[in-house]
Amino acid sequence: MVSVPRSRRAIRLALATGCSIATWTGVAAAHSGSLAGATRDPIAVPTWLFLLTGGGVVGVSFLLASFVTDRQLVAAVHDWGRSLPDPGRVLRALLRLAAVSVLGLTLLVGFLDRADGVRNLAILVVWVVWWGGYVATTYLLGNTWPTLNPFRTLAEALPSLDRPYPDRLGAWPSVAGLLLLVWVEVASPLADDPRLLATVLATYTVVTAGGAVVVGPDTWFARADPLARAFRFYGQLAPVGVEDGRLRLRLPGSALPDTVLDGRDDVAFVVTLLFVTTYDGFVATGPWASGARAVVGAGVPPVVVYLGAYLVGALGFYLAYRASARLGRQRAETYLSATYLARRFAPSLLPIAAGYHLAHNLGSFLVLTPTFLAVAASPLAPPPSPPQLAGLPAWFGGLELAFVLLGHLLAVWVAHATAYDLFPSRLQAVRSQYGVTAVMIGYTMLSLWIVAEPYVPPPFIAS
Amino acid sequence: MQAHDPETDVPPDATPYVCDYCGQPFARETHLALHRGLEHASSLSEEERAAYEDAHDEEVDNLRRFRLLALAALVMLYFGFLMTYAVVT
Repeated sequence: MVSVPRSRRAIRLALATGCSIATWTGVAAAHSGSLAGATRDPIAVPTWLFLLTGGGVVGVSFLLASFVTDRQLVAAVHDWGRSLPDPGRVLRALLRLAAVSVLGLTLLVGFLDRADGVRNLAILVVWVVWWGGYVATTYLLGNTWPTLNPFRTLAEALPSLDRPYPDRLGAWPSVAGLLLLVWVEVASPLADDPRLLATVLATYTVVTAGGAVVVGPDTWFARADPLARAFRFYGQLAPVGVEDGRLRLRLPGSALPDTVLDGRDDVAFVVTLLFVTTYDGFVATGPWASGARAVVGAGVPPVVVYLGAYLVGALGFYLAYRASARLGRQRAETYLSATYLARRFAPSLLPIAAGYHLAHNLGSFLVLTPTFLAVAASPLAPPPSPPQLAGLPAWFGGLELAFVLLGHLLAVWVAHATAYDLFPSRLQAVRSQYGVTAVMIGYTMLSLWIVAEPYVPPPFIAS
Repeated sequence: MQAHDPETDVPPDATPYVCDYCGQPFARETHLALHRGLEHASSLSEEERAAYEDAHDEEVDNLRRFRLLALAALVMLYFGFLMTYAVVT
């Protein structure tokens, strides 16, 4: 969901609280946390060429993938897999208990502890451990959220009314929930104010438990809960997954071509997952700041400007993706419906979302992990200036860029394999990808632009 | 995220080529022939097998042409970027 400013904000807050630490630490940390430092400093390339190169790389990888025309080879890559032993019920129960304890502790510390920013355990647990670290494991290892999910453990302990879930709602509540969660995150100082964070967390717990009591936990977490759904999609990308009720080791991303989303609501969810990352970064750019100031100067309330851009942007992303599916349908001369193509190709966007998440969060995760350990040792009396990693090596910026690139390459390959699965003619398969490739090129250029723009604090919002 | 039958949408004025085995419509006869060869290989008649082989040969020719074009595009992109970088930086 959120990534650009999450890392930037985490770094900013690291800087704010770590004033006593020598300045060079701050500089190094600021570099390590954002792609902007990595991409702009060492090379003096004009922005348009930098963007064009990014788009070009995606285009080239599409062309290169189109050279792989052996159906057996494409299928063999995706069918490779090994069975894994089941972790066992005891371990599972222990993990669930631990997750619930962490949730309880986070709420407690968030409400009680007077320390702010990175001296507060609640902030560190949510943003560094959970958002930066745990979320990365859902796509790098496997989706453990169905087991760990403390909200689910709580909900399952409560009696369920098992009311029928209104089918016409589909998964749209999760799309709305995702938009709402990220909106709260962007529009409020959720990464600085532990009381606010604990309040949001408590509200989320109550809403989730309430929803699960009404429609039953299985239905709630499968269709309405944005977090469980986001992790389920990320888990499709991971090398460990559940197939036919058994744990299975597979190549990363190899389950995606077989993933058929249920409908437009699922497609909207995946596209929204990508969009919220972009919006979060977009409001922290210079052009947005000056544009927003101009519009607010003309008499429009700031919240309308932000919310308007947010909703229009989300709709724009969805419509652009729909248009790409229609273009693919037209170019491939197929009678498969545009909605069906959208449902098949949308999973190929997931590696891109994961690549950006990792690139944006790994730096702050590494820098702030020592902070977390120090604060976790005494949550209610944290050290006045908890330690941070003194900086990451210079090549780390290149590593972040590599994650973004890797996400895109995997996305292109997944789209290729999906197309081979869909169409009898291999030429048709290539042509069907024109639309989704165009979207990927456009998205790469947009995100690289956001990443290359220097960070400007979003005006009018308290963060 | 379960398996579904592919959802199709045939324009009202079109005359699709429909697969006798599974009912999936196609815009071109070659697509249908290829589909039969790939999805229903075990139950093909002599005639359908021949149609599949013809369609497959044609596909291979077309793929070869596409590869050449893709290679040309790659070369142009490569030199385009090389030149741009040489001029700009």
